[in-house]
Amino acid sequence: MSSPARAQPPEDPQHALASIRSELDRIRAAVGRIERGLAELESGAASSARARPRQVRYLQVLVDVYDLGGRHGVSLEQWARIGSARGYDRRGLGGFFTGVRAPLRQADGRVALTVSGERLVDEYLAELP
Amino acid sequence: MSARELVLVDGDWLEERLGDPDLVICEVDERPLIYRVGHIPGARCLDWRVDLQDSLTRDLPDSESLARLWRRIGLTERSTVVFYGDQSNWHACFGYWLFRIYGVSDMRILDGGRQLWVREQRPLTREAVSENGRAALLPQASGERLRARWPDVQAAGERGVQLLDVRTTAEYRGDVLAEAGYADEGAQRAGHIPGALSVPWDVAVGEDGRLLAEDQLRARLTARGVDLTAPAITYCRIGERSAHTWFVLHELLGVEARNYDGSWVEWGSMIGMPIATGEDPRPSG
Repeated sequence: MSSPARAQPPEDPQHALASIRSELDRIRAAVGRIERGLAELESGAASSARARPRQVRYLQVLVDVYDLGGRHGVSLEQWARIGSARGYDRRGLGGFFTGVRAPLRQADGRVALTVSGERLVDEYLAELP
Repeated sequence: MSARELVLVDGDWLEERLGDPDLVICEVDERPLIYRVGHIPGARCLDWRVDLQDSLTRDLPDSESLARLWRRIGLTERSTVVFYGDQSNWHACFGYWLFRIYGVSDMRILDGGRQLWVREQRPLTREAVSENGRAALLPQASGERLRARWPDVQAAGERGVQLLDVRTTAEYRGDVLAEAGYADEGAQRAGHIPGALSVPWDVAVGEDGRLLAEDQLRARLTARGVDLTAPAITYCRIGERSAHTWFVLHELLGVEARNYDGSWVEWGSMIGMPIATGEDPRPSG
């Protein structure tokens, strides 16, 4: 024979209120932690977005390649002349081809802008008076 | 004077005539802001997005818009217009084609465009060019025969008209929707118009961007399967590279050619239109 179900004691309103307040405090603390973390991430992202502005001569090299190279880019000889005219040595010129966002690429004996390079050219041109 | 001499000039020709009041020099660039780096003295900047098309209707500008433009650049009945620009004159040739449609007869393309002028270290200036206040020529749309619409393209095969796809071979095959850097200019599908031959625009130019000599042009185009005795319609992605090839065929070689400015962004996006992919000009499937 089963025992009859025991009736639940009536809920203490004071206890319920305290419980809700405690839960609210935990949620507020968690929100605070999330907001602080988010602020740190945003500030980090902003500082990397504010990375050192590229030197004007760096951008001018890209504009020269665009202007002199047309659709097919410049020859290696022209590339060397452009670099030299803008004050770059051989090592400095190598920097234009490195990294996932390299602004220039070399193919079939010619140097041409990448999509990243074209974007930099556009940014430079937009700043011209 | 040969057909070539009537429509194509070199840097010496232009430099000798700088300052001639009857010369209207128009720079048309893919990147119009490059004009600010320096331009040929007296040259006016025509922005192809603003001046050479009606962006609301995605059509050529109407005669009223052209009249305003011609007033601005001072184009009169006495004018000789010289077009040049970046990217081997793609957009300069589009401007030339558009002005021809509206009845301008005395026009030249600067061979090699901006690229060669800069490389030859010819004069550049950043000085603004003021309006000359001359009474402008009135545009008359008399050259519709130079333009192809999609029904013309659709009927090309049965009319014995060659279709020439002047984009890169990767675009023709359907490997890519558009070249890198033109992501916002793609169509819905990749491939080419059935029956079109692949004749990339740059078969007509040398490394310095200059157009090849006539015999070389004929040889290269023939090698690509182009019949230089038959009419042709050129197309590319948005009609500017095909204006370059149209210039070569119609103006230099005397071929009965039209430019399909709707080009692949129109054809490749139309519902119910067949396309072809791969090397084969015939329809897929």
